[in-house]
Amino acid sequence: MRRMKIVSVMLAVFMLSCSVLAGCSSGNSSNGEASDANKPANAAAGNANQPADAAADNGAPAKDAEGSGASAGAVKLDIIETGNNLPTPDKDFIKQAIDKAIQTDLNLTVYASGDDYKNQLNVRMASGNFPDLFQVPDRAALKQFVDQGLLLDLTPYMDKLQDVKGFIGDESLKKTTMGGDVYAIPKAPNIPYNTYWIRKDWLDKLGLQPPSTIDEFLNVTKAFAEQDPDGNGKKDTIGLTGSKFSTFAPIFGAFGVGDPNTFYVKEGKLVNSLYDPAMKDALAFIKKLIDTGAVDPEIMANTGLQHQEKAIKGQAGIVWIDWPNLSKDQFTEQIKKVNPNADWIQLAPPKGPGGQYDGPFDAGGTSGMYAIPKALENDKEKLQKVFDLLNYVSGTDGSQLVQFGIKGTHFNLEGDKVVPTDLMGKEAGFTWLYQFTGRPEMAYLQTKFAPQSKYIEFANSQPRIQILNGFLSNPDGYNPADATRFIEEEFVKFIYGKNPIAGYDAFLKTLEASMNFKTYMDASTKQLEDLGYGK
Amino acid sequence: MVKGTNDRVVNTVVFVILFGCGLAAVFPLLYVLSVSLTPFSEVLKNGGFILIPKSITFDAYRKLLTESNIPSAFKVTVLVTVIGTILNLVVTALMAYPLSRKQLPGRKFFLMMVVFTLLFSGGIIPTYLVVKALGLLDTIWAMILPNLVWSFNVLIMKSFYESLPEELFESARIDGAKEFRILLQIVAPLSIPVTMTIGLFYTVGHWNEFFQAIMYVTDRTLFPLQVVVREILIQTQQPLENVDNMTPGETLQMASVIMASLPIIVVYPFLQKHFTKGMLLGSVKG
Repeated sequence: MRRMKIVSVMLAVFMLSCSVLAGCSSGNSSNGEASDANKPANAAAGNANQPADAAADNGAPAKDAEGSGASAGAVKLDIIETGNNLPTPDKDFIKQAIDKAIQTDLNLTVYASGDDYKNQLNVRMASGNFPDLFQVPDRAALKQFVDQGLLLDLTPYMDKLQDVKGFIGDESLKKTTMGGDVYAIPKAPNIPYNTYWIRKDWLDKLGLQPPSTIDEFLNVTKAFAEQDPDGNGKKDTIGLTGSKFSTFAPIFGAFGVGDPNTFYVKEGKLVNSLYDPAMKDALAFIKKLIDTGAVDPEIMANTGLQHQEKAIKGQAGIVWIDWPNLSKDQFTEQIKKVNPNADWIQLAPPKGPGGQYDGPFDAGGTSGMYAIPKALENDKEKLQKVFDLLNYVSGTDGSQLVQFGIKGTHFNLEGDKVVPTDLMGKEAGFTWLYQFTGRPEMAYLQTKFAPQSKYIEFANSQPRIQILNGFLSNPDGYNPADATRFIEEEFVKFIYGKNPIAGYDAFLKTLEASMNFKTYMDASTKQLEDLGYGK
Repeated sequence: MVKGTNDRVVNTVVFVILFGCGLAAVFPLLYVLSVSLTPFSEVLKNGGFILIPKSITFDAYRKLLTESNIPSAFKVTVLVTVIGTILNLVVTALMAYPLSRKQLPGRKFFLMMVVFTLLFSGGIIPTYLVVKALGLLDTIWAMILPNLVWSFNVLIMKSFYESLPEELFESARIDGAKEFRILLQIVAPLSIPVTMTIGLFYTVGHWNEFFQAIMYVTDRTLFPLQVVVREILIQTQQPLENVDNMTPGETLQMASVIMASLPIIVVYPFLQKHFTKGMLLGSVKG
């Protein structure tokens, strides 16, 4: 009895202090029961709702387990990628529909931050706890995993991935080919979104026309900063904003060069923009543009969507941005709230001595690629399920599902035309997370963003410089992060007049000497020539 | 107390400086709170900067509570915090007490071991392997057990126990009490300040649980509050990831920050007096 008392005193002391400390301790109703990650966990109580095996159902309130569509024969697939806004499994109708269609139990986990995702992926790869399908962050990571022998060579399985191949196109597979073998599935090709956007109402107020050449562009930019286009009597507007060097993408384009350190074919020859003779002229013009004082002084510091904010808040008159971030209903609403007269229109790239290009577009770029770990080779059943999954989301039904949601609920078919219902906008915003092989971009956008149709068309139809960086993998001894930073720093010095542009050749020499850039150039040129470019 | 001109000047200066510091601390909080309560259109009109809201709406909070994963994440966090803190305190006390007794054989060695973990750790991947081998992946225990004991807290607690007068232990022993009983009936009641302090450390640690959740948990329903809040916050930091994404407005972001930090802010003042006492005793006499 004494012992009992001791124990109860101990518990009392600790419980008391804890409950005080924990403050609000409401709703701590349940508890998760541990189990091996590979086995379905028992749902000990409401909170642990990993889909319970039918046999393991222990009478707990299975509010979450029921909808998962997991039956006794379902194969559990672990998938990780970056993304956000994935609902919990009980509300995830896409997961439920896929599970039902191909007898799986999908466990998709998405990470909001790319860095968190890379950490998670690296740890899992290093510890042998492989996900069954995962997004490869970039081509450098792809190369690293291939070198480490962690990825399944998909080449021999191509006949099992017919639907996928048909969906994304043979050409796309080049993007994930390393040394002749395919190691990942890229998403279907995307289309360019970015253009200059300009305030039409500001132009009208100042009696200006939309600029069609770079000189006119310079004048308009200057006028926006100096002539008080918002009419508040204060000189508080900026002409041009954007994020880093992409702010000037069409200006580079007007000189016929791509953004810094991009490869493209010019007059039949493969060039890197840094070595393009027109680069100096482009820099000189950008310097002139900046010297007017009309360019947002924070462009190099703008991260994420800060340039968009400046545009929405009515501070900037021209911005280089993608159409969704300025013309989606959500944002037009915000723009109108700040200033009901604000009228943003897209601007065709201004003409320059090198032509008229609305920035670069990467022919090798992809909005994501997915790989399967080599370890899955020995688990034929699971591997087949992963193939089934990839084929399913590439086939007609599955593709429609992951694009638009459930037929009859989120969309209706009129002939071949997909007609969205109101519910699509409300509920189906996360379905893209399951588009492992991408989507037919143009048709998809036209359906989902009907009001923005003309912007989509416009951005897609502008001439672009086709760059090839997406096909490259970095050679050993070349550190892309260091080189990129060095290039950026030096370019900033040029355009802000800290270094004279006459020093450009010296900059190239330093780059080659200290950053191993020569090795990179040689390796890149060879890789691209092997793919048939510039010959 | 006699107050000379000098004193008054010094006092004024000190007061002004302290007031400035206090203001600097309150300012960002006030900003976050105000933005979270103001309609988004209003925020935008003011260039994103509002200190005193002119009109108040709870829309952002309503939206978070009904449409996001925050309510379920809240439950997970509360659960982890409560269970975690209780276990932390029990285990820490059980570790600290023997180490505080001078007659413990090999005391130096064990202390060395504890201090060793302060300076060196196994690294991410080995830790992940251990967690995996123990079958903790994808359970709430992955957020509780790997950091069950913080060596630093063991040392604070140990110092506190050492500061208790030896006579207490002697008298208890004369009355026939053994170590376990001494710990429970003599030491535990006397060490409430330090228990509170360390409990608060642990509580805050659990409340801010992020890294372990990201590493060890892939089940969405087990994500704690901070992970979900970060997901909301980070979306505007990244360029376009997908057209379908709805970027949460600043109001929503700030509301999520408030929801994540309010409980701790509310609890803090009540624990403050224990906090200083516990820390002081721990540090001075250690």
